[in-house]
Amino acid sequence: MSAELYLEALETPRARGGRAPDVFSPTGWVPMREYPLDEPVDFAIVGTGAGGGTLAAKLAEAGFSVVAFDAGAWWRPLSEFASDEEHQQKLFWTDERVCSGDNPLVLGTNNSGKAVGGSTVHYAMVSLRFRPEWFRSRSLLGYGVDWPIDWQDMWHYYREVEQVLGISGPVRYPWGPKRPRYPYRQHELNASALALARACEAQGIDWTSTPLATLSAPRDQAPPCVYRGFCVTGCSTNAKQSVLNTWLPRALKGGAEVRDLAMVGRIETGPDGLASGVHYHRDGSWHFQRARHVVVAGYAIETPRLLLNSACPRYPDGLANSSGLVGKNLMVHSNQAAWGLVDDEIRWYKGPPSLAISEHWNYCDDNKDFFGGYAFMSQGPLPAAWAETQVGNRGLWGQALVDEMEKYNHQVGLKIVGETLPQERNRVSLADERDAYGLPIARVSYSFCDNDLRLINHAMRFLRGGLEGIDAREIWSETEGTAHLMGTARMGDDPRTSVVNADCRSWDIRNLWICDGSVFPTSGGVNPSLTIQAIACRTADRIGDMARRGEL
Amino acid sequence: MSRRYPEYDVQSKRGGPSWNDVTRQIVDARLAIPREPRFLDATQWTILCALCACVVPQPQNRPEVPLAALIDARLLADHGDGYRDARLPPFRQAWRIGLAALDAEALDRHAEGFAGLSRTQQDELLADAQAGDLVHPAWQGMPSRLFFSLRLAHDIAAAYYRHPVAWNEVGFGGPAAPRGYVRLGANHRDAWEPAEARPGAESRARELNRHVR
Amino acid sequence: MFSRTQLRALAAGVTTLLSLASLLWQRHERPGRGRLLHTHGREHVMLDAAHTLNRGAGLLAFSVAADSAMEHYRGDFQNRAMYTPLVTSVLSLVISGQGQQDPRAGNNPLRNAVYVGTIGTGLAGTAFHLYNIGKRPGRLSWSNLFYAAPVGAPSALVLSGVLGYFSERLRGETQDFIPRIFGLPVGQSVGLMAAAGLLGTALEAGLLHFRGAFQNPAMYIPVSAPPLAAGLLVATVAAGPAYGRLRWLSRLVLRFTAVMGLAGAGFHALGIARNHGGWRNWRQNLQAGPPLPAPPSFTGLAFAGLAAHTLLEDGRELAP
Repeated sequence: MSAELYLEALETPRARGGRAPDVFSPTGWVPMREYPLDEPVDFAIVGTGAGGGTLAAKLAEAGFSVVAFDAGAWWRPLSEFASDEEHQQKLFWTDERVCSGDNPLVLGTNNSGKAVGGSTVHYAMVSLRFRPEWFRSRSLLGYGVDWPIDWQDMWHYYREVEQVLGISGPVRYPWGPKRPRYPYRQHELNASALALARACEAQGIDWTSTPLATLSAPRDQAPPCVYRGFCVTGCSTNAKQSVLNTWLPRALKGGAEVRDLAMVGRIETGPDGLASGVHYHRDGSWHFQRARHVVVAGYAIETPRLLLNSACPRYPDGLANSSGLVGKNLMVHSNQAAWGLVDDEIRWYKGPPSLAISEHWNYCDDNKDFFGGYAFMSQGPLPAAWAETQVGNRGLWGQALVDEMEKYNHQVGLKIVGETLPQERNRVSLADERDAYGLPIARVSYSFCDNDLRLINHAMRFLRGGLEGIDAREIWSETEGTAHLMGTARMGDDPRTSVVNADCRSWDIRNLWICDGSVFPTSGGVNPSLTIQAIACRTADRIGDMARRGEL
Repeated sequence: MSRRYPEYDVQSKRGGPSWNDVTRQIVDARLAIPREPRFLDATQWTILCALCACVVPQPQNRPEVPLAALIDARLLADHGDGYRDARLPPFRQAWRIGLAALDAEALDRHAEGFAGLSRTQQDELLADAQAGDLVHPAWQGMPSRLFFSLRLAHDIAAAYYRHPVAWNEVGFGGPAAPRGYVRLGANHRDAWEPAEARPGAESRARELNRHVR
Repeated sequence: MFSRTQLRALAAGVTTLLSLASLLWQRHERPGRGRLLHTHGREHVMLDAAHTLNRGAGLLAFSVAADSAMEHYRGDFQNRAMYTPLVTSVLSLVISGQGQQDPRAGNNPLRNAVYVGTIGTGLAGTAFHLYNIGKRPGRLSWSNLFYAAPVGAPSALVLSGVLGYFSERLRGETQDFIPRIFGLPVGQSVGLMAAAGLLGTALEAGLLHFRGAFQNPAMYIPVSAPPLAAGLLVATVAAGPAYGRLRWLSRLVLRFTAVMGLAGAGFHALGIARNHGGWRNWRQNLQAGPPLPAPPSFTGLAFAGLAAHTLLEDGRELAP
């Protein structure tokens, strides 16, 4: 019985009967419009995270009929999120996936959400813009591929997302072109962040407060952050500005329907070769929702999995896959860290984990022996996550583990979000095993390339130097570790070398769209959520334009 | 009791504003977990208990955290990680094979099951597993190194540090909602956080920890 | 909890109420305290103004006592010196209360000493806070201005001391000419001092309300009314006795500022309620939310401004 506590949302769908859970109330509801299955809606959106949730809101507000599907549950954070690493596993994608390659990925809690609101329900809220040159990394920096989007266009949409999320950021951002002021001011730095600041000053580089999607002052129904430190296991106060409590309430107000616990298994295509709707599993059986357009927004593993699982005689290699690139060029961020011990009590469990950041090596290209860049941030893992690092990366167990864990409150750490290069061998494909819905599960193969490893080496040398600069002792490097998922359905200018165009529209099927981290041609050295949302905003605007011109 | 944080008990905050209802209930449920195996058979259970004692040795002066029961509960619920290294079988199977293989290795080496070995012998065997040196057919091709680091030590350590007793030991503030924290700077603690015993000031820490609510 | 529209309506409503309250107060005040001159003699005017200054000094001291107690508790009194402003401001508060009740003219050496000590503590506090910021990474950065030891806060203690010090100077004056402080006629020097205090405090409110992203439109009131009051006060001082309307307006805005200071505490109470857990989570939110005792320091300074008016009136009547 104990196992089922506070898991009702996983058992039966909540969004039905004309209402959906009100995330700002412990038990309340908000009205939700519903659409019949047999009449085509304008847009069926698969996934309600940074890509799908954002798009659902923007398209609904533009007057389109929208039904969004999410395989996960619709939680009410105020009453259902515990301050507990174990219990909050309910936010993660824990259906089986198989990982291979030289560097098999860690998924699950690390980067894979399964909830209405997607991974933004448990993200670390770090909201960074790409360096402008990265949108033309091939032409300007000599690696990767160019994006088909202009950076100034993206900066306009970054601005929109920052406003919607009420980002709390520094008054002056030290790197890149001048940007408009963040809607909320930076947070107070915790001791862990101040250690990063000192390490940067010791190394003679800039640092700043991290732009974060958690409030530093009240906003509508959301209170400011209370610095409880459980951000990556789900914010129980609503201070975190996630898709769940920003875009989705807007989507519902705009007339969208969101179906929770609805696993889309296949996209149907008609005799004309166009997508005609989606098959989804909800309430114990399969249903079919007819749609004029289908948007896939399941993140860089589930998106290619769905496209590949939707193979049919006309598209034997999966949908939108004439380039053969669906599932390929999977990218992550290298996520290595240097850790050390100090005399001060740091108590990094207080506050958002990454309150301070340096993007120095994203913007400075001096004396690099690698392509790309990396940001690094202060850290604050909770006890079990910290223990897993000790076991997995450091090989500690027994009394050595117990003794090391007792130093918990004196640890400092600097962790990178490092750019990795796109490689076709890194890919998502279908395994023979099947999941509970009878669908082939994803097989995820990942290996760093030499350039990725050179970047990591550079970072480790630099970060260790920083920790030495603040007189930390017992410094060690966490050499495993990746974060985030990108690529696998890249955007581009050429149908032969990309899956979708700049508007996230697939080259092969003109009413099939892909809108999530999958479309990134390169990964950049920053957390992807802000860029995914900016792309979704841009896509929504482009769809509106095209509809007005009759080009849909 | 924790040496560094004497008399700190995160559960003394249970009734206060740091614990909301959902947290109280799910932690209560964890503490009330049945102490008998529900998924593993008696042999497997004995091996697991011995393994838990090796991976996280616990002091004698307090009730033991029932690590084996926590792992057994997870096996019963089949709560995997949501991914697995391709060289490992699925969650339950990996544990079944791993337990049997370690027992087989022990029998091979010492003519005694794993649970019957001395602590030193057990530790040596586990060190070999960690190094990937164990290749008994009972492993069925599963690399002992991966089983050790991704399942055995990983799962047991995670179970332990998700338990309130471990939070006392490491000086973790514990659940924190609705009340979070105010004093974020180095060497600053809120009145509801554990106080660390600095050498020579143990009684002060003891006193502060008694008042943590 | 509150939508932006509701907050806008609240801000507009409260501004209207505050304006009405200050108008009412202005109408019901005896017209021109300078009248006392004719009935009770001028030393009563001085005494009266001294009492008003005591009241201002006391209010500021109260504000500092409560605010520094809370903020330094938040800092866990890690340095013993952090008790000093608490002790001095409580002394200043007590002595101001006593001074306000004291009907005797002539200055009191004990009060004088406490007020001078208060000024000294405030100056030392400013230096200490600056030193603290200098030690932190980022030095004089926004992050430290927002969250490190507040540079402006100890000045409130200086202002409290200065108000008290002025009140003692006034009590000491019995001769039949306009007394001078720092080389200026007393009305003018008190007026300029109050104006400077209002501006400085508005600056601090501005910094902290900027930190709060002016999320509630009412947060603009304390950064606009006090500077206006300060400007009008300076104009009154500079313009000389002739401009009756200016004086009227200046007094009105000062009264608005005084009432606003009290209403500000109410807004801060609301701000605390809007933090997670609200007042039930008071152990956190009293520390983390907007500082409850800070806004009344505007009231104290506005009282000083009104006292300056009394003295300026008096100066006019004495003028040849």
